[in-house]
Amino acid sequence: MKVPYVEDKTTRGGQSTPSETDVSRMIRAEVETWKSRRGPDWSDLMIRLTAAGPSPWVIYTTASAALVVILVTAYLVGSWLQIGALAQPINSHLH
Amino acid sequence: MPDGEPLDPKTQFRQLYDQEYHSVYRAIRSVVLESAAAEDLTQETFVRAYRARLRYTPTAPPGAWLRRIGINLAISHLRRQKLARFLPARLYVAPDRRDYDRAEARNVVEKALEALSPKLRAAVVLHYYEGLTREEIAEVLGVPAGTVASRIAKAVAIMRKTIGSDQQRETERSRSEGALRGR
Repeated sequence: MKVPYVEDKTTRGGQSTPSETDVSRMIRAEVETWKSRRGPDWSDLMIRLTAAGPSPWVIYTTASAALVVILVTAYLVGSWLQIGALAQPINSHLH
Repeated sequence: MPDGEPLDPKTQFRQLYDQEYHSVYRAIRSVVLESAAAEDLTQETFVRAYRARLRYTPTAPPGAWLRRIGINLAISHLRRQKLARFLPARLYVAPDRRDYDRAEARNVVEKALEALSPKLRAAVVLHYYEGLTREEIAEVLGVPAGTVASRIAKAVAIMRKTIGSDQQRETERSRSEGALRGR
């Protein structure tokens, strides 16, 4: 993939444009002020885990397995009772 | 990143949670820019990580793995918010941005960060604050290192321009105020 060339040297700022070093310093100072008010809360995490129910992959796997069982059962019942398109006898003596 | 052996999410998840909470929070906040949403998404990140901990493969450090989950969640959150704006007014509840929307209180850097797209913001914060290399950021964001380099360069260019024009406006304003006072 073609990507634009990135200068490794820091760029100098103009009269009002800050340099890359200034920008990085400003970012560090700003992000330093981002403090979580609550902080880590293990008990809340456990509550969320129990309230969230099973994970999506468990739901998808169970639903897919149930669908396969329903389709196979429907096919077997259909052929045993000789109903539906699957039970139609194949006419091999067409004239 | 602390020195020594990285913690194993399978057996030391609680310690990993305490150790990485703040860096995951900052990574998420760099994307959403809201403290309340960032806190909620940080907890959600650890819920997802806890469920997936047994499937964790140590191809990347656990911190990078957690930040990746967090940033993806934050980007999905912003997408959902964007889509929700198209809902009828009764169904759409605007997010609480009280702490961020006080435009007067926002400083130059916040405004410059807001001018960036969430993906560019995440890249600059991970690079300049967390001190991650392009390769490490590439692991976190799931993009090639070259893309990270171009995102950082683009973000810095936008920020320099935004901060520069903001400062110039401020200088002109104080100059005209000074001239008025001098009369």
